[in-house]
Amino acid sequence: MTAFAPIRTAIWSPRGGVSAAVLVLVVACALFAPLIAPYAYDIQNLPGANTEPGAAHWMGTDEFGRDLMSRIIYGARTSLSVAVTAISISVAAGLTLGAMAGYFGGWFDRAVTAVVDLTWSFPEILIALILIAIIGPGLESTMVAISIAYLAQFTRLTRAQIMALKNETYVEATTNLGAGHFHIIFRHLLPNALTPVIVAGMLATGDAIILEATLGFFGLGAQPPTPSWGAMMSSGTAQIFIAPWIIIFPGLAIAITVISINLFGDALIEALDIRNRLRSV
Amino acid sequence: MRYISKTRLFASSMLVSAGVFGLAIVANAQEATFVVSAQNVGTPSYNPINGTQLNDAITLIFDRMVIQDADQTFHGQLATEWESTADGMSWTFKLREGVTFHDGEPFNAETIVWWIPQFAETENAFMTAAIESVEVIDDLTVRFVMANPDPNLLSNMSSGFMSIPSPKAFDALGDDFGVTSAVGSGPFKLESFTVGQETVLSANEDYAWASDLSENQGAPHIKTLTFREISEDSTAFLELSTGGVDLLYSVPTDFLPRLEGEASVQVGTMPGTGLFYIPINTTVEPFTDIKVREATAFAINQKEILDNLYGGVGSVANTFLIDSLLAANVDPALKISYDPDRSTAALEEAGWVMGSDGVREKDGTKLQVALWTQNGTEFKRVTEVVQAQLKAVGIGADITVFDSATINDQYRKGTDHQLAVRSYSWANADIIDWFFSGQRLGYPNVSMWNDPKADEMNLAAMSGSRTWEERVANFTTYHEYVLSQYVFAPIYQPVQIYAYDKEAIFVPEAIRGTRLQSQTVVDITVN
Amino acid sequence: MISFFIKRLLLLIPVFLAVSLVIFMIVHLVPGDPIDNLVQINSSPEQKAALAAKYGLDKPLYQQYTIWLGNALTGDLGDAIILRRPVADLIAQNLPHSLSLGALALLFSTVVGITAGALAAIYKDSWIDRVTMTLILLGSTVPGFWLGLLLIMLFAVQLGWFPVSGARSWDALVLPVLTIGLGGVALVARVTRVAMIETARKDFVMMLHAKGVPPWRIELRHVLRHALLPVVTILSLRIGWILGGAVTVEFVFARPGLGSLLITSLNQRDYPVVQGALLMLAVAVMLGTLLGDIVQAAMDPRVRERIK
Repeated sequence: MTAFAPIRTAIWSPRGGVSAAVLVLVVACALFAPLIAPYAYDIQNLPGANTEPGAAHWMGTDEFGRDLMSRIIYGARTSLSVAVTAISISVAAGLTLGAMAGYFGGWFDRAVTAVVDLTWSFPEILIALILIAIIGPGLESTMVAISIAYLAQFTRLTRAQIMALKNETYVEATTNLGAGHFHIIFRHLLPNALTPVIVAGMLATGDAIILEATLGFFGLGAQPPTPSWGAMMSSGTAQIFIAPWIIIFPGLAIAITVISINLFGDALIEALDIRNRLRSV
Repeated sequence: MRYISKTRLFASSMLVSAGVFGLAIVANAQEATFVVSAQNVGTPSYNPINGTQLNDAITLIFDRMVIQDADQTFHGQLATEWESTADGMSWTFKLREGVTFHDGEPFNAETIVWWIPQFAETENAFMTAAIESVEVIDDLTVRFVMANPDPNLLSNMSSGFMSIPSPKAFDALGDDFGVTSAVGSGPFKLESFTVGQETVLSANEDYAWASDLSENQGAPHIKTLTFREISEDSTAFLELSTGGVDLLYSVPTDFLPRLEGEASVQVGTMPGTGLFYIPINTTVEPFTDIKVREATAFAINQKEILDNLYGGVGSVANTFLIDSLLAANVDPALKISYDPDRSTAALEEAGWVMGSDGVREKDGTKLQVALWTQNGTEFKRVTEVVQAQLKAVGIGADITVFDSATINDQYRKGTDHQLAVRSYSWANADIIDWFFSGQRLGYPNVSMWNDPKADEMNLAAMSGSRTWEERVANFTTYHEYVLSQYVFAPIYQPVQIYAYDKEAIFVPEAIRGTRLQSQTVVDITVN
Repeated sequence: MISFFIKRLLLLIPVFLAVSLVIFMIVHLVPGDPIDNLVQINSSPEQKAALAAKYGLDKPLYQQYTIWLGNALTGDLGDAIILRRPVADLIAQNLPHSLSLGALALLFSTVVGITAGALAAIYKDSWIDRVTMTLILLGSTVPGFWLGLLLIMLFAVQLGWFPVSGARSWDALVLPVLTIGLGGVALVARVTRVAMIETARKDFVMMLHAKGVPPWRIELRHVLRHALLPVVTILSLRIGWILGGAVTVEFVFARPGLGSLLITSLNQRDYPVVQGALLMLAVAVMLGTLLGDIVQAAMDPRVRERIK
């Protein structure tokens, strides 16, 4: 019995198996893009712009004559790394904030809860757009904006876990033994609260991929010529009647990736039997 | 809000009464919907005097004193004739008789006496800055007494900003003029205006003072004209191709191939007033070296951008001014046109040698520069090609995309920017003053170009010219000097493309003027 | 119970003040200047200074804040700098469009989501469950603008059933409602499904079965009703989405709305509009949460008990 047992169970379920396989493929694309992609992502060939999908270019070319499939493969790199980095920051910050709020309670908790509840009720896209207006455009600021947009979710979730665990007997026992607050939070409470937050983080990674794409629609995020699925769809919008494949394929890439994340997440939730603990979101 | 509901009520009662007389179909047939160009979405008001952004409905609601044809000649609209003294210090205008505003107020010399001083203290004050006072000669004749000669006066008077509002309505409405209501003497009356959404106009049935540029000398053929605002060009295009709207004021060039495939869509072009270029910050390494600036300017392949991004529509830019301006006729040797050999030679001369990764180096420093651009498909496309073209001569460029408000702010805050892809839209040579005057370092002079010799030429061109010819000569000299210092790289001159549903409306083939304005719109008929 | 809600309402006052301060600070943190977007080529620095004074932008920040808040409390959100009209008018002009789109999309998500969730719960672990839940997932796994564009291409361009864009007739609402509605179905369906499965395990349901009440009747009348509670909670907390979350869809369909008003004004640095719209959204969110609590209390005797 290890921590990997539930993951194994998840993978052996039909949904989990298929989605895990797709995710491995997407991650492989991101990691080994230069080996897999048939062309370089930034080599322009203006006379060959907007070529229909065919033998030379399976997914056609974009408005600069760049191979679309290569850009989607490289785009997996940008989209995944933005989403994963942003959500990791968000989860880490949410765990800390939520744990402190839940553990200490009092005015600190009330303040955190009020802010978190309010921002949680605002659409992530608005939060992210406003934040980017403040910090300026670019890949890093997009990551920061996305991570703050999802912060409320993880803070709420962690706080709820901690609240539930706080009153359990072993914590009281540890407190009576004279352990410090941070020892209790980081040694006893957080490890037990971790699983649901990480699973929620995994599911949110899917949402973050969509958010990154939506920011790309507004021209924010990865700076050209770096391909990201969002930026590709954004320029594809203008080409929709001339070269619809420019917008269709990145959209499909997003749909397939996000569905797989969701299905695998679901399988994991069932295998871990933590549905109830995720409820407080 | 109240205004809208009133109009709706009005419209529905019209419909009812029309139905009674069996005229519903006729009334319906004279409706048309136009879409303003995407850059005019969100135009806040129809106040010509203090508005800084106006959309194309402005010339339909208001009339101007004079209007300019496509061949740059001026034609009278509310003025019938005009003359100026030889020293340019006095202009006399004869006014058209029998003109009334939509509120029934008469148009006469008193209107002009009231009108010109309204510009003082507004953002558009420069339009009339040279006019010292207005004198009434008789009921239909006025004289402008000038503070200094302004060869640009007629050109200013033909712009939408010098549209003439009804003095009574303007004074009565105050800040609400152009927002809740707008009263002019133009061929259409403003029925309702919802900012960012639509403007509904109705025909001015009393209109009988069209200029000699219009065939139709009476009321417009279109009875109800709606202007819609759509910010996504692709959405606007889909509306046109599905019959949802009748005319688009502007269409992106890359839609052309697809538009030509649509049986019901007719496309037309007009000369543009804009220019894409790259300002080069002359105060930041490596661009303090004129050789590197020269190399940058000659690395831009204007023809490649024209042919591949714009399908050959429009023209290359080789100077800072649009071709239709006389001051654009500079010494051909000074024009900046793609020359990779000259570019690489200049870089070699400046000591930048090719590195292994295709980016040049000098004393261990890479020739890697920042290239800014602003949000929007067209800008991003041009910038990506520029990036590749610079790379071809060994200049590496990192793109940053800003939204248009932020980019101007960045210019004000810091002076460490290097290159940017920018565009302007202005059909007058004084744009050189705006972007390169030593008085405006930082912004708008983002090239940070401070050269006493240039400022001397600037002064001569801006305020030392008595006649139009003199002004052109002075600006040409100034322009040539700007070109010789490589403070920018020219890219492209777009054309204006409009498109309409030829099954729904008939648009005359010859567009009079520099845009699709009232002089042409009154001749449009609904099929 | 009434005193409880009055207390809750009073608690909102400090939250409101804090939120208004945060909104004000955020808006003024955004780099850029509305005056730059207002002036035309050729304007002098004096003209700009005069404009800044006209809109009170030359005053110290704390003063700008107190003036703004004081006016806002009396319902005066100030005048838009770029759009040149009262902010309240702009909100009033856009709010109905946001509300109709948001409410209809919510209705669509709720009806389809609850139906799908109930179906999946009743046929738990069968192929019906799997297929339903995977299908409804599709709508929420693609960006809204992408889905919207594809719907336009199919239903407006190819089939010609609905207008491409705008808000000039009722049928212009269909495609935007579908775009947003499809995105929300998955959430509602998931919550419904789980809640129903859990309710079905409860004692009182077992008892109903034992009494011989027909299963479909139990599912619909008792299980579903109880399962709706978490759905209502989730929805009441998402009022911000209804009012401001449609921004991409508004852009694609060229529809007016609060989201696009906010973003357009943000891009033009039209501070009063951004502040006013954000404040309005925040108040709506606070009231929505409160309303959620009330509905929850009305539906659930346990919550009522706790309140007392």
